Amino acid sequence: MLKILIPTLMLLPLPWLTPKKWLWPTSLMHSMIIALISLYWLKNSSEEGWTTLNPMMGTDPLSTPLLILTCWLLPLMILASQNHMAPEPLSRQRTYISLLSSLQVFLILAFSATEILMFYIMFEATLIPTLIIITRWGNQKERLNAGTYFLFYTLAGSLPLLVALLLLQNSTGTLSMLITPYNDLTLTTSWSHKLWWAGCMIAFLVKMPLYGVHLWLPKAHVEAPIAGSMILAAVLLKLGGYGMMRIMVTLDPLSKEMLFPFIILALWGVIMTGSICLRQTDLKSLIAYSSVSHMGLVAGGILIQTPWGFTGALILMIAHGLASSALFCLANTNYERTHSRTMLLARGLQMIMPLMASWWFTASLANLALPPLPNLMGEIMIISSLFNWSWFTIILTGAGTLITAGYSLYLFLMTQRGPLPQHITALSPSHTREHLLMALHLLPLIMIIAKPALVSGWFA
Amino acid sequence: MNPLVLSLLILSLGLGTTLTFASSHWLLAWMGLEINTLAIIPLMAQHHHPRAVEATTKYFLTQATAAALILFASMTNAWITGQWGIQQMDQTIPTTMLTIALMLKLGLAPAHFWLPEVLQGLDLTTGLIMSTWQKLAPLALLVQIPNLNSNLLIFIGLISTMVGGWGGLNQTQLRKVMAYSSIAHLGWMILIVSFNSKLTLLALSMYILMTTSMFLTLKINNSLDMNTLATSWAKTPILTALTPLILLSLGGLPPLSGFMPKWLILQELTKQELPLTATIAALSALLSLYFYLRLSYAMALTTSPNTTINTAPWRLKTNQNSIPLSTSIALTAMLLPMTPTILAI
Repeated sequence: MLKILIPTLMLLPLPWLTPKKWLWPTSLMHSMIIALISLYWLKNSSEEGWTTLNPMMGTDPLSTPLLILTCWLLPLMILASQNHMAPEPLSRQRTYISLLSSLQVFLILAFSATEILMFYIMFEATLIPTLIIITRWGNQKERLNAGTYFLFYTLAGSLPLLVALLLLQNSTGTLSMLITPYNDLTLTTSWSHKLWWAGCMIAFLVKMPLYGVHLWLPKAHVEAPIAGSMILAAVLLKLGGYGMMRIMVTLDPLSKEMLFPFIILALWGVIMTGSICLRQTDLKSLIAYSSVSHMGLVAGGILIQTPWGFTGALILMIAHGLASSALFCLANTNYERTHSRTMLLARGLQMIMPLMASWWFTASLANLALPPLPNLMGEIMIISSLFNWSWFTIILTGAGTLITAGYSLYLFLMTQRGPLPQHITALSPSHTREHLLMALHLLPLIMIIAKPALVSGWFA
Repeated sequence: MNPLVLSLLILSLGLGTTLTFASSHWLLAWMGLEINTLAIIPLMAQHHHPRAVEATTKYFLTQATAAALILFASMTNAWITGQWGIQQMDQTIPTTMLTIALMLKLGLAPAHFWLPEVLQGLDLTTGLIMSTWQKLAPLALLVQIPNLNSNLLIFIGLISTMVGGWGGLNQTQLRKVMAYSSIAHLGWMILIVSFNSKLTLLALSMYILMTTSMFLTLKINNSLDMNTLATSWAKTPILTALTPLILLSLGGLPPLSGFMPKWLILQELTKQELPLTATIAALSALLSLYFYLRLSYAMALTTSPNTTINTAPWRLKTNQNSIPLSTSIALTAMLLPMTPTILAI
């Protein structure tokens, strides 16, 4: 574990000591080396137990895919930020890279924490660098409101979580994740137990986000610069899912009574946010609402608490992380050229950037869960486990799948196909850096098809 | 001010608080408090500005009232029990009177109304002394009293955190913001004093650290309101980048040190079977966080090359020693991993 953590900590002073010419290449190279070393975590020594265990941190098949996704994403963020940071003064570029690295440190500590309170502190700690990335380097004045919504929605959910965790610690004496699955809490349906249950869950539901408390997400994703959008979509939402999976093992059997409204809200959110996507004019906003839609499905899978549900949720989290981040990078290629997120202004791009159109195509197919991509695997497993619980849900999930396909197609056709408008015939062609970025997003996604057991969590 | 007079006043200030710390007799403690009040009065009024004199008068009246109440309460206890020991005050009426007196002295809600106006009339150094040093002696008395009425204290604590939060929301003057921040933090300290007084002292020390950082930052930037704060990026760029950390630490966000007292207080409250109190206190901290966040937006997160709301300030070299500030900022941001050490004390 320290093999990865200490190099990542060293990434913090790295930008400050590198000469200007080599700033971006060295940051990229070092973060990429760390990402490649992190792949050794894929070898989990036991099916359900903990690997690389030490008194504070450990990895298990649930956290490993998320950790590798986090480590993989840092070089991609650095690659994506290179262009829009170029006009800034040198010290601000260095601050930016340090900020991304500090976020990375907190995320690694969060996913590898074995004590739930450590996870909580790191979960909250990720808020500060993300807040600074959104509000300092966002591009429109709405970013301040976005940062406020982001911070306060998350904190309003997580402060009751802190109280609930402290109550759990008082009653069981420990908050270690190695022990909490074996807790015997004998929860009843009394008000206090129900409130405690809600306190445990709401923080993660807000983070996921669940439809109903999702309002922070479109604001934050849209106003953030590309690195912020990438890390938000790919990893920070998954913190909510991961936390929920960890805490749910202690919450039985009360969950059976408490879960109904949340599952319904999640599934209804899939349809509602999908429908909103069909009517969006703002490209990043469309991708943000599509994130809410996919994470609604993930929430449904986790809340249903079956092996297929958990497996599907984890696979969909990893697949959605890569696909959504890829879409944001593609949207950013448009934004850097036209400085506008309006889809109508940058359409028919297949004419001038055909290779980028193939990336748009693959990313849109990933978004709509085309087989054999892991997006589909995750969705099918979640939909099946929900169907097993109640056949009504197929109406919601089936309609949701249909709408997802609808807006993904809309996204692709709008940006790529159709006539090229006169005003953008002079856009600069794609950079190799952008192609590299897209390849690094989508090739791992395609490679997971070969061995989905890597990202399937406990029940591989 | 004449350096001899200044040193005399500062030494008296120290004497007063130390006297209160060292005493086990109520009369001596009261004397220490009075010496403290008398010593800071000339410090507050040193600039002879009408606003400063108004602040001094308001401070004197409230503190004198509170001290008289303390004297009355201890005298009542002496009538009933025949002794003046601070730690042997176990009658309910004197204890309640004393709690209310100390509430007035510290500036806790609902007796907080004097604090924003008094702080606003002071210059930043005296404001720092007012916010930090002057809280030591009354809290030292409060943690020593046995059998405190926990219902009253929880009530005061919750009301203070909420008043501190809501009151600070509409302020643009930084000294008033710091006053409401003081009220809120004192509320957290009072919440826990009847259960675990060590946590009160921990919360106090963390609060002093964070407030010192904030006041020293304001002093270097010579800024008294939010508009001036917005120009600090041109004067002190590194400090401008670090001030959001101080502000978010004041707001109690992990992983900064300001989270430590809040976490431990919430833990103690849940151990005492008060989870609802804990939740209400935690959520009211979000109110204060809003105005801290707004300050950090104005100062560091919205700098741009060409928009200043204020006229460009003179960029004068400052004589202020920066070592205290750098130390306190480092401690404000990075003390959270020391929590196990604190727990062992």
